[in-house]
Amino acid sequence: MDTALDIGLKLVAITVAFTVVILIVAYTVLAERRILGFIQGRLGPNRVGPGGLLQPFADLLKFIFKEDIVPDKSTRFIYFLAPVIATMAALMSMIVYPFGPETRIPFTDISLPLTIARLDVGLLYVLGVTSVGVYGIMLAGWSSNNKYSLMGGLRASAQMISYELALGLSLIGVILLAGSLDLGTIVERQSGWHGARWFIFFHPLGFIIYMIAAIAETNRVPFDLPEAETELVAGFHTEYSAMKFALFFLAEYINMFTVSMLATTLFLGGWNVPFAEDVFGRGSFLFGLVSAIGFILKIVFFLFLYIWLRGTLPRFRFDQLMNFGWKVLIPFALFSIFLTATLIFLFPGL
Amino acid sequence: MLVLLFILFAGMAIGCALAVVAQRNPLYSAISLIGVFISLACLYVMLAAPFIAAVQVIVYAGAIMVLVVFVIMLLNVEEEERRRQRLKFLVPAAVVLSAVLIAEVAFILVTVQESRVTPVSDGSSVGLTHSIGSELFTQYLLPFEITSILILMAIVGAMTLARRGGPLSPNARIVPGATQIPLSLVDPAVGHESTLAVEAETTEEAARLLGLNQLHEPPKRD
Repeated sequence: MDTALDIGLKLVAITVAFTVVILIVAYTVLAERRILGFIQGRLGPNRVGPGGLLQPFADLLKFIFKEDIVPDKSTRFIYFLAPVIATMAALMSMIVYPFGPETRIPFTDISLPLTIARLDVGLLYVLGVTSVGVYGIMLAGWSSNNKYSLMGGLRASAQMISYELALGLSLIGVILLAGSLDLGTIVERQSGWHGARWFIFFHPLGFIIYMIAAIAETNRVPFDLPEAETELVAGFHTEYSAMKFALFFLAEYINMFTVSMLATTLFLGGWNVPFAEDVFGRGSFLFGLVSAIGFILKIVFFLFLYIWLRGTLPRFRFDQLMNFGWKVLIPFALFSIFLTATLIFLFPGL
Repeated sequence: MLVLLFILFAGMAIGCALAVVAQRNPLYSAISLIGVFISLACLYVMLAAPFIAAVQVIVYAGAIMVLVVFVIMLLNVEEEERRRQRLKFLVPAAVVLSAVLIAEVAFILVTVQESRVTPVSDGSSVGLTHSIGSELFTQYLLPFEITSILILMAIVGAMTLARRGGPLSPNARIVPGATQIPLSLVDPAVGHESTLAVEAETTEEAARLLGLNQLHEPPKRD
């Protein structure tokens, strides 16, 4: 393919993917407020636009026009750098996910996979980029020069380091099953059998551990110790205001989105929709469209799960959190690797 | 295109490396070091070794440097003072050592230029995960296993150091939760020589484990 055309297509793909993701993230915030309202027996924001549908844009405008306050004794440069690192690390992992199969664009002969970049080490890339995201939170807590921020930053980084181990271990079963670190290959290995080949059926314990660790990684309820309002005001972003706060907010929701996307890709078959291949035929435009929509819907299910948990569960205590991560999750994750390896050994043609 | 990218990443690596040394604030130095690691990872990607690049980011930038930054944040290290007088004798040593380093680099460059090129059978697949894995578990199995044992020893050592029940400060108290305390803290009559330690959830449980009958008054401290 022509190099210029290739680069142009990539740019289009990046723009489309990022726009879709940012829109979904924006509406996740609205959905969270409405669903929490429903769970708690109140209405939630419903004034801006029909049913509150324009609320995300109103919030964005508010964030842009608010005064940006920088604490007097803060470390200026790092205070500025922290939200940038957090958002960049959250966005960067987006490029390796396969949003859909190889699809032919209508009215042309161009056939291209619905993914921005296909890396041989896609899964490791995701883990590496997310591990860099910790710095945003740590540095934000430190540079604010505020004891609540520092405590929140320390808690967040300790929690993220601890649960990253369980998260990584829970993924090893998937790598064993797929025999590859490339996310595209992992998804293709899960196609067939009309949806019964999704890795969740071969590696269920790993999926549960992954979900728990992922919620802890994103600092969400019931693991939201870094932002515990009753103890730490707002945790690491106590001193942040206006657009810098919005960047942290955005990073948290993009992280929710990416871990949901990883769960979908690794355990729920990615873009594989049962029976879609029989109906539309592989490679056609409709097949690509249905697969991509299926992929997004699976992610939306996980996002709903996040909101549901937030409306349902109370918060852990910090020592409970650490004990649970190190003494329960990691041994179980090791055990699940053993189980999956045994399964592969007994049925080599899986 | 590739040359431009190489100049960009190599320049970033050198600039960050200089900043590590030049910065007075230890946290800035640590952040610059993270920059060095990430630009090195970019260079690895350009050398068709994506696996090494990913591992570099995960291990160095994602794990080791997090601990370094953590320690700097907890200790709240102040900016380093200028201590030129005390460290003056190191300047000639640094000059000599850097001369040795430059000589080594020059030697390597000359040797590489003069050595005959032996093409690898399939150069593009060397850095991929599959080839690294199969080589590691066939040809280089013994070094791999030895490294594993070394890492296991390091883990056991770290755990031993962390679990060692050292002497506690006099104002330490039994707190709910798994806490280790020496016997002398609960029963002052035993004296500080006793190193028997128990693990308990509550004060009562500790007393029962230690075989103490009454524990109504807190241990006396003068």
